[in-house]
Amino acid sequence: MKVGRKRRTSVFYVCNVVHVLKRFVALVTMACLSSSRLCARVQDKLLCQFGHKVRRQTVFVKLKPPGPSALRIFGKTYQRVTTCGPPCGSTSANAAAGYVRRLASSLQSTNTGSLPDYGTQIVDPYRLLEDDLNGIYEDIRAELEKNTNQSELNTIATYYFDGQGKALRPMVAILMARAVNYHVYGENSALLPSQRHVAMISEMIHSASLIHDDVIDQSDFRRGKPSVNVLWNHKKVAMAGDFILAVASMMIARLRSDEVTLVLSQVVTDLVQGEFMQLGSKETENERFAHYLTKTYRKTASLIANSVKAVALLSGADESTCELAFQYGRNLGLSFQLVDDLLDFVSSAQAMGKPTAADLKLGLATAPVLFACEKYPELNPMIMRRFQEAGDVEKAFELVHKSRGLEQTRFLARKHGAEAARLAAELADSPYQKGLVVTTDLVLNRIK
Amino acid sequence: MSLSSLRCIRKYNNLVNVHISSAMVSKVLGPCKREVSTSSSQRANVATHNSKPDWNRAVSEAEKIVGYPTSFLSLRWVLSDEIANVALHLRKLVGSNHPLLKTAKNLIYNGKNNMQAWGLIVLLVSKAAGHSPEIPDMEQDKAAGVLHSQRALAEVTEMIRTSHLVHKGLVNMNVSQQFTRDPDDMVFGNKIALLGGDYLLANSCSELANLRNQELVELMSSAVRDLAEAEFLGERDDQNNPLPSRPLSEEQIDPAAEWDCIVEPLPMSGVMGNLPREWAARHVLAAGALLGKSCSAALKLAGHGPALQTQGYLFGCHLALAWQAFLDLESFTGPEPASFSLVGAPLAFTLEARPDLYCYIEAGRRSVHDVDYHALYEAVVSGDGIAKTVELQREQARRARAALGHFRCGDARSALANILSALHHALD
Repeated sequence: MKVGRKRRTSVFYVCNVVHVLKRFVALVTMACLSSSRLCARVQDKLLCQFGHKVRRQTVFVKLKPPGPSALRIFGKTYQRVTTCGPPCGSTSANAAAGYVRRLASSLQSTNTGSLPDYGTQIVDPYRLLEDDLNGIYEDIRAELEKNTNQSELNTIATYYFDGQGKALRPMVAILMARAVNYHVYGENSALLPSQRHVAMISEMIHSASLIHDDVIDQSDFRRGKPSVNVLWNHKKVAMAGDFILAVASMMIARLRSDEVTLVLSQVVTDLVQGEFMQLGSKETENERFAHYLTKTYRKTASLIANSVKAVALLSGADESTCELAFQYGRNLGLSFQLVDDLLDFVSSAQAMGKPTAADLKLGLATAPVLFACEKYPELNPMIMRRFQEAGDVEKAFELVHKSRGLEQTRFLARKHGAEAARLAAELADSPYQKGLVVTTDLVLNRIK
Repeated sequence: MSLSSLRCIRKYNNLVNVHISSAMVSKVLGPCKREVSTSSSQRANVATHNSKPDWNRAVSEAEKIVGYPTSFLSLRWVLSDEIANVALHLRKLVGSNHPLLKTAKNLIYNGKNNMQAWGLIVLLVSKAAGHSPEIPDMEQDKAAGVLHSQRALAEVTEMIRTSHLVHKGLVNMNVSQQFTRDPDDMVFGNKIALLGGDYLLANSCSELANLRNQELVELMSSAVRDLAEAEFLGERDDQNNPLPSRPLSEEQIDPAAEWDCIVEPLPMSGVMGNLPREWAARHVLAAGALLGKSCSAALKLAGHGPALQTQGYLFGCHLALAWQAFLDLESFTGPEPASFSLVGAPLAFTLEARPDLYCYIEAGRRSVHDVDYHALYEAVVSGDGIAKTVELQREQARRARAALGHFRCGDARSALANILSALHHALD
């Protein structure tokens, strides 16, 4: 438990009293946890075997954090205190919601119930981190609410923190935090409050960018509900985005780490530059793919890469481990976005929801189109005019499907996923490190 | 400095209750003190002939003191790819009536929009306070007498302010009827405005991070938060133009909360319905917080203690309010304007005295253009709103001066005093 004592104390100074108390209780109880207890929990959370892809996806979707639960703090503390004693039966004192969820997913999985064998079983990262991720949206909402006395601002700013998102970014950040802590300090390491804050910040920066994207792209729906720009005044929506960024930035500052602030400020710069790159398409055919990859890094991967780097920095890991974390995040992020671009083409083919091709309609040439270009050069002029002419979108859509563009995109996504998995394998063996490997699979095999 | 000293600032900072002795005022006023006359016949005359040169002189002399001006055209960030990109796209918008064009024009033609002198104020405050002897020579701009970090901070202040103005210039596309003519232009304009503002905001984030002072990052981020909050205060028309709230009688208004915090959001109890206080809250959030926090941060960079940092905050905040009152008065010193701010101080005082006038405001609930400005103008001119605003402006300037009294004598301090008096003279 020597994990960054200095850092923890510095966090204590800046948090308000309630926060300090809450975290303190959590830490003390965490410190009480024996390693055997940890193993027991891990064992409990091992599920699903290879080959159950569809099932795993269902789990992936279903295991997102539950809706609002006001008594989280107390529930969580209570749970931890009671599970301090006997290592087995650690789940019995769980909150009712968690219990039901666990029951539901254990019905879906084929849990062998034997001793954990990491080689043949898959760790579901969302289950592994259930306690850490539980209430993360509530904490974000509380942080935003604390920072404004204008109720409408609060409403808009918290709109997307309803617990309906996948929480991929916080999940990866916490997973990496725990994996690196384990790597550096061994199995008795715990998650630092500051690292959980970085997880919250990553989701906040992501949401702030979503909110601004909604105004820019005039989208109608997001996450199954009307997007912010449909419901509120666009000026106010823009301000709410700025507000979330400002609050996130205050949270970053309260971590009191120069390095972390620099790393996370890079994210914001990258996001904006990526957005600017998306505006213009003046590059030549040769430069186009490099341009696309740089844009993808800046718009998506940078946030994941830099937030996992930040948690590694907070853990006090050496430079090479931080760089490893960063590269893991970068590759995972690229893989994630490539799959996203792919799904934009195939999800309509599978008659899932509405026909998509949203990127084409926005005038964006993503990887499948750029690959298809090699076989069908007639796509070039369409890319240059951003699919503006009548019939362009349909024609491009058809050509992409006729070409090997989708296949090649998947191959590239796999390549980045494999690289991320290879990097994760370099960390010390732990359930969390396994979780990092599994996450690369989840990203590749997701259907939404 | 730790949180405890920040708390100190909060304790010291008593925005509402700062009292100063008249002796101090006269000391600060010093040689700049002039005869004050408030007769209305002279006012228009002086305003048109005297105020502008006076103002310009005060600003340009102040700029000489700190080296070079820090206006929008500070080349470092205008020459970046992204801004070039924005400029390129702006050209496409020419001919459309997107308000972004107006914002851009106001930023580039510095003319009447005095607010661009904000970076200058931060530098002047930096120079007026000096810095602790422990700061290494490498970090100083010897010729100008400020630190490089303070110059960066001044730039951040301008970027944050500009970003806010640009984001404020978005068009609300949710009310369809007005934009049937060319919605594409509006969507595109919004896109550029949003991205342009984000670019500035992102740049300020990384500039701030480079200063490697986390308390400062927190303080300046809270200023960004305040600016965002300002856009939500009170009633709004469809384009988010602010309207005053309905004046309430004294017993209907909640007891006012003290504004004695810097980093926390501004307490709103007792604000709505109390129009003068609403005016103050609105402009503390929209202007005072940023200028005050920037001045305070500049002193923090120089290694000054919490007490002086608080004075820096008070100076910036009151200067911004004095400035705002001065701008509000401009509409009533010349010939009758076609329209004027509905949340200006003269109208706030008038509405407070005559709540029956609120029906005119209600006419503008969909668009401020529907308001009968002539009727309101007449009401303001015939009441005591202008006189009260003059008094308010004096009071704010007096408080700014009082804070200024804590800085050491020198050219930077007199330049700041001159800027304050330039605001005064326009009223005489």
